Amino acid sequence: MRIVCPYCGDRDTEEFIFRGEALGRHPGLNSDEYAMFEHVYHRTNLSGKTSEHWYHVQGCRNWILVERDTLTHTIYSARLAKDGES
Amino acid sequence: MILKGIGYVDEGLQIEERQNVAFASILARKNQNGETIGELIGGSLREGPLTTILGDTVYIGTGPGSWLATSSTKATDFADNLATKLAGRASVSDQSGAYCVTRITGDRARHLLQRGVAINLHPDVFTTGCAATTVIAHIAVVIWQIDISPTYDIATFRTYSPDFRHWLAHSWRSF
Ligand SMILES: [Zn+2]
Repeated sequence: MRIVCPYCGDRDTEEFIFRGEALGRHPGLNSDEYAMFEHVYHRTNLSGKTSEHWYHVQGCRNWILVERDTLTHTIYSARLAKDGES
Repeated sequence: MILKGIGYVDEGLQIEERQNVAFASILARKNQNGETIGELIGGSLREGPLTTILGDTVYIGTGPGSWLATSSTKATDFADNLATKLAGRASVSDQSGAYCVTRITGDRARHLLQRGVAINLHPDVFTTGCAATTVIAHIAVVIWQIDISPTYDIATFRTYSPDFRHWLAHSWRSF
């Protein structure tokens, strides 16, 4: 599988660290136990198109927001996570 | 063909370890970019995996808002000078002790390098002025193309340079 890093270009996934689903924001330090549990442990584990965070550790060292189909490995988009979610 | 010491030559290929090369990393401060940083050093730093040559220094794009500056010099104040010039717009740190640079040139240089990198080095997509931060045999490398011979400079972290040379010798033998 290859990811087109928005900075580096077309790269093998060996260069990236997979973090997991691109979840919503951290609920905040004052949130209750359940919200924290939900954020830390619960994943939707979608079969199909989903958003994920990958870190380009052997490249530009940036977090990349990748839209990927977990069944087909088709990658729909990849952009710098720091540029925002949408 | 045995690769020992710092260099060797064969038909269509020359390999040498460059000596006295200074390095410094440049990280843009908030709201700064290649243009605002570059104007302090007489030009504009290109954004993207590309090189910009200003005077006797090559600035290699390594990430958004980050560059690796390199120059052939014995001077030990390369990074300090750069830090002074870029004060307020970018953070500069001396990396001179961190990297070794190998120069590969000749007709067969592309073929040899292509054996190690999983990116396309075809001259239509990677040519003079292009750069890449990637891996060769799991070894982190920064590659930039100097001319269309082609000539490439490859920087590896110093402690990995014997391993990189081992990869070079091994790949060359299996040509
Ligand atoms: Zn990248």
